[in-house]
Amino acid sequence: MTVRFPSVEFFTALQARMREAADRFRRLGYFDTTFAVKVRDGGERVFLLRFEVFDCVDVREVESLAGASVDFTLEGRFEAWREMLDDIRAHGHADANHSINTLTHFGEKIRVVYDDPDGHDKLYRFVESIQEFFDLAAGIEIDYGEARGETGSEYFSSTKGAP
Amino acid sequence: MAYLSTIDFFENRSFLDRWKAAMKGDLDLSWMNAATEQVECRPQNPRRGLTFRDLDVGSYGYTELPEIVRKNRTFAPRGAELVDGLPDLQPEVSRKSEVWAYNIEGYYEEAMTRQWNAATDIAWHDLAKYDVPDDVNRAFAQLCTFLSEVEMIATDVPAKWVGKLSADFFEVKNFVATQAMDEARHAEVFRKRALASGVGLMKASPQNEWSLKQLRDADSFAEMSVGLHLAGEGFVLTLFRFSELISPTDVDKKMFRLVMQDEARHVGYGMQHLKWVIDHFPEKREMIHAHLDEVENMIFGGGYATEVTESFIILSGKGLKKENIEQGVRITAQFQLKQIEEYFERLDKCGLTERRRMSKLANAMELTKAMLAEMGIAA
Repeated sequence: MTVRFPSVEFFTALQARMREAADRFRRLGYFDTTFAVKVRDGGERVFLLRFEVFDCVDVREVESLAGASVDFTLEGRFEAWREMLDDIRAHGHADANHSINTLTHFGEKIRVVYDDPDGHDKLYRFVESIQEFFDLAAGIEIDYGEARGETGSEYFSSTKGAP
Repeated sequence: MAYLSTIDFFENRSFLDRWKAAMKGDLDLSWMNAATEQVECRPQNPRRGLTFRDLDVGSYGYTELPEIVRKNRTFAPRGAELVDGLPDLQPEVSRKSEVWAYNIEGYYEEAMTRQWNAATDIAWHDLAKYDVPDDVNRAFAQLCTFLSEVEMIATDVPAKWVGKLSADFFEVKNFVATQAMDEARHAEVFRKRALASGVGLMKASPQNEWSLKQLRDADSFAEMSVGLHLAGEGFVLTLFRFSELISPTDVDKKMFRLVMQDEARHVGYGMQHLKWVIDHFPEKREMIHAHLDEVENMIFGGGYATEVTESFIILSGKGLKKENIEQGVRITAQFQLKQIEEYFERLDKCGLTERRRMSKLANAMELTKAMLAEMGIAA
């Protein structure tokens, strides 16, 4: 099955794969954080991911982060996210140039945005769990909207699936 | 031996009579009426298991723990009946504010579930797949040598303090014990990485060892915690993240991700401890600033450790050619500024917002930014 990126369906697919890999994530330990993924391309799409104990317990799209309580936000252009996901799919996991820490360290491709340094540090407290969560994209067929000739600005101009 | 038993049990008549009676079935059983609370704690969240938070009840709990522990100066676990004859162990730390942190129980449980194994969780065999240039390999071995030194002392320091804390600070003692284990594993993994590199260990780092000695010799837990958890480990956390960025292999990337998880947890404890102190004892600000003055001097002095800085320059520039060095200098300078900026961000969050204007390190950061700007490097 092919899923569109970025979309709630994409992150729900990762969530389902995380449940299938429950033993692996249990081995990594408690994973308690809520963070946002922001994908920009003309407009922007924002997704909230909440992790608790060993699971991803909530995935949702929001119009904005106003009023949302997140530890940090991973924010980047569509091309940067696509490059990361294509790399994961090509190698089965992120290679040396595409790990979350590498992509965000100086914020050149993907930025970590935060208000609270304690929340920021949660990215690093749980970094291996977060990395392995994104690495689950290796098993997902991703549709970037090209087949339908859907441009980024069209897709990003409206927030789909937001409550 | 600093303590010798005051009784020779092999020659003590009353002890021997009592022992023989028990072994013949003449039981005392007075302990069955211990003056303690009867409780039946259950996990609030079965998936999380039975946690310290679930045990926070009545006399066993930590919420009502007083600021000064006057009663229990023994090994007795909090909530047990204290009977006559227990030794006074003279704990050096009996004030809650010296050690407590918001969410201390959570940090402990997180530490226990996120343990990993340096022998089996790193794909050591995969190192052979990579053809790392000799200069980069040597720089990485020097970095691992330095980190082995750092992590060895980072093991010694918390281990030294565990036994000095009152037994009533059980959750803190356990967390600090996990920290010692984490740091021992870090010393292990960096030693293994250096010895698996085809290079081995490189040079010890005098300036860094003097700095580490300062942490080890701290006069109080508060001084140690500000130096180790907040400053030392805060700087090392940024260093681990930077090292992940510049690591030459996927194997090393994973190694740095695993160590940074532990380090971030220790920094979290340090921040939540400092916040606790500032919230409950604002009069301690001056003392904290005095500790920070010394710690920042130590951190700034780390610049003497050229063997470390040069390793970073080679690793981030990916070699020793002129263009590599230029690139390496630019990236390393940005990393060093990031270390300092994140340190001040954490202090701001703890409520020490005045630190930036009082700090010589903040001045040094501004001077460094100006120097880099002159070199055409954006900070």
